Amino acid sequence: MGINPIEYRAWKGDRSAQKARMYVIARSVFRHKMKATGVLVVLALGFLFLHAFQLIFSVIGPHEALEAQTMFEYMGSGNTMAIFAILLAAVTTSDLISEDLAGRSFVLYFSRAVKARDYLAGKGMASVLVMSIMCAIPPVAVAVAAMATQSGDDYAHSAGVLARTVVAGALITVFFVPYGLMMSSFTKRKSYAAVGTFMSFFVLLIVAEIFAEFDPAWSIISPAEALSFSTGWIFGVDMPDYVNWPALACFMVAFICAPAAIVYLRLKRQVVGG
Amino acid sequence: MTEVGRGVSETAARRLSAKDVTVRFGPVVALDGFTADIPEGVIGLLGPNGAGKSTFIKASLGLVPLDRGSISVGGLDSQTQSLRIRDDIGYMPEHDCLIPSMSSVELVSYMGQVSGMGQRDAMQRCHEVLDFVGIGEERYRLVRSYSTGMKQKVKLAQAIVHDPALLFLDEPTSGMDPNGREEMLDLVRRIGATGKTIIVSSHILQEVERVCGHAVIISEGRLVREGKMGALMAGEEGLQNLTVRGDAKALDAFSRALGAACSISKRTDEGVGQTSFSVRGCGDGRRIFALAREHGVQVRSYTPDRMSLEDVFLQAFQGGGAGGD
Repeated sequence: MGINPIEYRAWKGDRSAQKARMYVIARSVFRHKMKATGVLVVLALGFLFLHAFQLIFSVIGPHEALEAQTMFEYMGSGNTMAIFAILLAAVTTSDLISEDLAGRSFVLYFSRAVKARDYLAGKGMASVLVMSIMCAIPPVAVAVAAMATQSGDDYAHSAGVLARTVVAGALITVFFVPYGLMMSSFTKRKSYAAVGTFMSFFVLLIVAEIFAEFDPAWSIISPAEALSFSTGWIFGVDMPDYVNWPALACFMVAFICAPAAIVYLRLKRQVVGG
Repeated sequence: MTEVGRGVSETAARRLSAKDVTVRFGPVVALDGFTADIPEGVIGLLGPNGAGKSTFIKASLGLVPLDRGSISVGGLDSQTQSLRIRDDIGYMPEHDCLIPSMSSVELVSYMGQVSGMGQRDAMQRCHEVLDFVGIGEERYRLVRSYSTGMKQKVKLAQAIVHDPALLFLDEPTSGMDPNGREEMLDLVRRIGATGKTIIVSSHILQEVERVCGHAVIISEGRLVREGKMGALMAGEEGLQNLTVRGDAKALDAFSRALGAACSISKRTDEGVGQTSFSVRGCGDGRRIFALAREHGVQVRSYTPDRMSLEDVFLQAFQGGGAGGD
């Protein structure tokens, strides 16, 4: 301790930020994610394969207005956006709960006045922010760029498509986060959580394809297809007749809400009264 | 102090009481009707491994549900008002719990913010407490590269960053070398000197003996003994320990004379011409010194009977003794 040790001093300040705990957790996670190699690599690849060409094409390609069909083909048609979204969700969410389980850091949070709800919301909010960097912000930027360079003057129509782009981007951003958090809460190894998230996506894809052989309506149990149909519905483009919309709505709600409820209940078991 | 606020008032937060607390983990009974009233000060929570010390701490924080009974911290119930309790408590867990991907500056200031401190306040206070625990420039290194001793210090720093009124330290010297243990005990002593209530859970009796003013001994989930350290360690009332040295003939004569003057409850020949007695009714010792001079023996020590905490512990487990208060 040395010859003249530093004495303990009481802290006289106010703890005025009790309600900001969720944001504190979100900010910390977001900062760490923005330094994580895996996240940066997926973001870079995503920009390159998903957005860069689309942005160039939207700016230099001749267009009278921003079209819903164009934005749907960019965001919802095909599985590319969904695959990158699940990849990013896997690398972003895999360690959020699993590392706290492995390092028993839960106790650092829950020995303070942190509710399980705040903890989960903080982690979820950070994941959504990271996801939005690839799934929501670039499509909106592309849409704005297309609007800015359109040759026609029907800006009301373009603004409508822009609004739909925001909604579709928000859906893709949020879609895989609860599922990734749930997988992260099942294991203490982030690699298992990441692989589990990604593989379950493919398992559902394969199962959907097998069943779709008998009835194409089964294709909605593939997260990528479900996301594609939902995006198509948001943009108001024609969708195949076999899509069972109530079933699709149930699947979408279940895919987002059920994992969120499961991970919340698992966290609640860690703490009393939180 | 909004919502959860400073849950408990500064002084009230320092008292803790448990009534008939039972906690089960499946077939294992971790706490079995544990009842104790823990006062302010530096309190030692003693017991062998698996006695229920950590479970009691976690139950007090509301991290473990109670099967029966209640725990009150500053008048607040640990089960229904755990958020308010936890807002003014610091907890240093026994096990590794630090976030390995953060430096200690990041971790401690982050925990300050999670405790409700503003960003700037948390950073300033973080440096204060890291200085206090003795983490120097290493504070900018990732926690995963720290030695066990440094991790223990960071665990203590995160527990005190928000300046809680009540501190739970679960095996604070676990895994530390002798120098590290000494430093940690010194830190505990210095925090305790500021008037905080600190509950130190440990199975190392010498540590508790050195820093605590009150001890609670727990075994198999039950309270075995509790009381002020001085009272617990005080021996039988009126009993004095006397050690004398001389040749065998003189010692025999002195022993006979001593037996006539006071009551000898125990005599132990320690060899090399040294004998110790447990005596009673010798007053302030003047008669003993007179007898020693008379018989040509040298008085090496004459002290009131006092037990070590180890004796208290062993006695408690043999079912002997009463409460220390």
